[in-house]
Amino acid sequence: MINKKKLDKILNKVEKPARYIGMEQNSVIKDLNNVKVKFAFCFPDVYEVGMSHLGLHILYNLINNEKDYACERVFSPWVDMEELMRKENIPLYTLENKEEVKNFDFLGFTLQYEMSYTNILNVLDLSGIPFLSKDRTDEDPLIIAGGPCAYNPEPIADMIDIIVLGEGEEVTLELLDKYKEYKENGWDKETFLRDIASIKGIYIPKFYQIKYKEDGTIDEMIPLVDEAPRVIEKRMVRDLDTMYSPETMIVPYIETIHDRVVLEIFRGCTHGCRFCQAGMLYRPIREKSTSRLMELAEKLVQSTGYEDVSLSSLSTCDYSQLQLLVSSLMGEFGDRNVGVSLPSLRLDSFSIDILKEIEKVRKSGLTFAPEAGSQRLRDVINKGVNEEDLVNAVTYAFNEGWSRIKLYFMIGLPTETDEDVLGIKELSYLVKDLFFDRPKEERRGNFSVTASASCFVPKPFTPFQWVKQESIDEFRRKAYLVKDNIRDNKVTFNYHDAELSYVEAIFARGDRKLSKVLINAWEKGARFDGWSEHFSFDLWLEAFEDMGIDGEFYALRQRNMDEVFPWDFIDIGVSKKYLYKEYQKAIAGELTNDCRLKCTGCGIQDCAMRGVFN
Amino acid sequence: MILRVKFNKKNYLKYIGHLDLLRLFQRTFNRAEIPVKYSEGFNPHPKFSIANPLSLGIESEEEYMDIDLVEKINTEDFIKRMNHILPKDIQILDAIYPDDEKSISAKLSWALYEIRFDIEKDLSLDEVKSILENWLNSGEIMISRLRKKGKRKVMKEEDIRPLIQMIQVKEKADNEVTIESVMRVGDGGNLRPFDFVDALGNNIELGMDVDSASLIRKALYIENGERLDKPI
Ligand code: SF4
Repeated sequence: MINKKKLDKILNKVEKPARYIGMEQNSVIKDLNNVKVKFAFCFPDVYEVGMSHLGLHILYNLINNEKDYACERVFSPWVDMEELMRKENIPLYTLENKEEVKNFDFLGFTLQYEMSYTNILNVLDLSGIPFLSKDRTDEDPLIIAGGPCAYNPEPIADMIDIIVLGEGEEVTLELLDKYKEYKENGWDKETFLRDIASIKGIYIPKFYQIKYKEDGTIDEMIPLVDEAPRVIEKRMVRDLDTMYSPETMIVPYIETIHDRVVLEIFRGCTHGCRFCQAGMLYRPIREKSTSRLMELAEKLVQSTGYEDVSLSSLSTCDYSQLQLLVSSLMGEFGDRNVGVSLPSLRLDSFSIDILKEIEKVRKSGLTFAPEAGSQRLRDVINKGVNEEDLVNAVTYAFNEGWSRIKLYFMIGLPTETDEDVLGIKELSYLVKDLFFDRPKEERRGNFSVTASASCFVPKPFTPFQWVKQESIDEFRRKAYLVKDNIRDNKVTFNYHDAELSYVEAIFARGDRKLSKVLINAWEKGARFDGWSEHFSFDLWLEAFEDMGIDGEFYALRQRNMDEVFPWDFIDIGVSKKYLYKEYQKAIAGELTNDCRLKCTGCGIQDCAMRGVFN
Repeated sequence: MILRVKFNKKNYLKYIGHLDLLRLFQRTFNRAEIPVKYSEGFNPHPKFSIANPLSLGIESEEEYMDIDLVEKINTEDFIKRMNHILPKDIQILDAIYPDDEKSISAKLSWALYEIRFDIEKDLSLDEVKSILENWLNSGEIMISRLRKKGKRKVMKEEDIRPLIQMIQVKEKADNEVTIESVMRVGDGGNLRPFDFVDALGNNIELGMDVDSASLIRKALYIENGERLDKPI
């Protein structure tokens, strides 16, 4: 345990000390001397962000449910806390027992976004753990990682001992059971890693060597031990009703992004938007039954005291029993001061009747994501919505008393022209006209429309994994093109940092050569790169320069059809062939239907959806 | 129906701010199924208020709040249900139905704090006592702090001596000194304990390490003529 008096002294000086104390309701504090496996779970960002992540609550309760295992939390200390911890020589500790991270058996990271990689290094450093697997001893915790970015783990492969591909509910416990067995019967790290290398969904980076071609692309990935498979299949839970689902959540004292019960209603998505990585990674759709959800909702509300239940999934309106679920929830909780909310509404399946039922929904802001400004470009990305959908949805929203509309777009999408980009302005103006064309007495509230554009980052395992990213100059030119053409104080246009998206694109499709850039950038002071106030582009440019790595090779290069990608050894079920076919259809502007209507042959072998939906 | 409640706030939970504490109680009322009255209007919220909120970083042995209930409930039962759900470092100590209308915040006017701090100089207990006595008897004790003046913030000088009723040195062990002090709280004058600590830190003879100070609010009082009474 760390020195409490020293900690007290610095907690009095930092912003939001409650980030660093734990002790929340439903947190689990076990006697660490009485458990067999100690797992430190780290979300490498600040407390409020990490605590808003559903996966944390799942894994935390999953592990702590086992008598012999303890899971404790670690977050990245904010910069003020880091400075004081370093000054007072306080090592990074877990929130539950205030125990040094270094004394745990496992340190697990969830990889939610590439720009958190330097925070991972910082967590290791503050814990006194060497960065590279090869420098760590048997005494150090095993470093394990999972989450969406694990689907291209190569930029951090040198730092991680074990990478988990896919859903963690089943494989986590298999792994911990194995570990316990080894601990009881004589521990040897090497043998243990070899043993687990053949578990489905487990990737041990150090058992592979990468051979590069002269042009810098990958020639081959060679397994170095017999146990290491050439291809690693993702893990996926087949039945969400019988799968472990938490019946409680830690309730933070300080405000987080979601101060409410989060009810995960299904996994997967079948719309097939071509820019979307999650849509490909988590196929096929698997739903929880309404009865199971009602049971979980009751327990979660009871154990947290929250006054809001939020339905969570990739596109909530696709849940086959949504109407039933919402009316059951309203019936059960309506007069208990508990409301129901739907995040992530999709304009293509915008369900009027359901919205009507949710009375507690705030009438202030409503969000739609057309993603691209023109129909032509929406066809390219297979975003199956048209202008009529938007008109219907927005008109309905105005009728019901909404007055603030947010529209999300991307710029820099493949084949994009200036005309497509200007479509962002056209759609925003259309929304405005729909409001002001209404008779005066029917206009309610203070109207505004905000269009936000992010810079498109091509991601692995999408049909756009072959394309080059737009250059920073082009991103800027296009953003200004829209901005300069909008001259109406009811219409606001925001765009995201192009430089940040460029660095993100490098790591999204990067290989093992990038690990030295990460370390160098961390040494130069990079932290919290996802936070624009901390991101320094010049610092990153210097790091690439100093390490002799050409960032453009990763971000701005158009790939050939037969290039071997760093992530090709992972099998997500959807085939590379299918993705390439989708890419070609994109260029041709051809649509692909939602595969709940008819299977589109994405490559998944024993897809549970076939025969259920189609 | 007003229920007056005494509770404490200890250890790490001293780092929970006032608004976060309100949210904690709100959720606990929900879970414990306490029939708290809700305000009318578009965004109804439960009606309860905590008297004289503690500054972040200060522990307390006795805090008070008034809860507006829809119906009278058994106080024993209330305490049991709440404490079962509340964290162990925030617990309900007592609850009563007061016989007068006046709100708890309006009634309180003094607070007793225990303050522990390190001193850098090698002083005896008696020396510490006489330094503090002189400090109190030296007339004015000035502090300067930022005050809002319209939209601007200006530095304002203020004499806090009238806000301090007494100081008592309790203990000195090695270089750690423990004192107790009764200070004003509420609308009739309010001394923020950290301002007191800063002012004491300015006393050169004492040589106090301001960063080492840890504070506990031991009690809150109602003034009854010459007497200071606890609300419950
Ligand atoms: S196999 Fe067919 S139904 Fe299943 S996810 Fe792929 S396209 Fe959809």
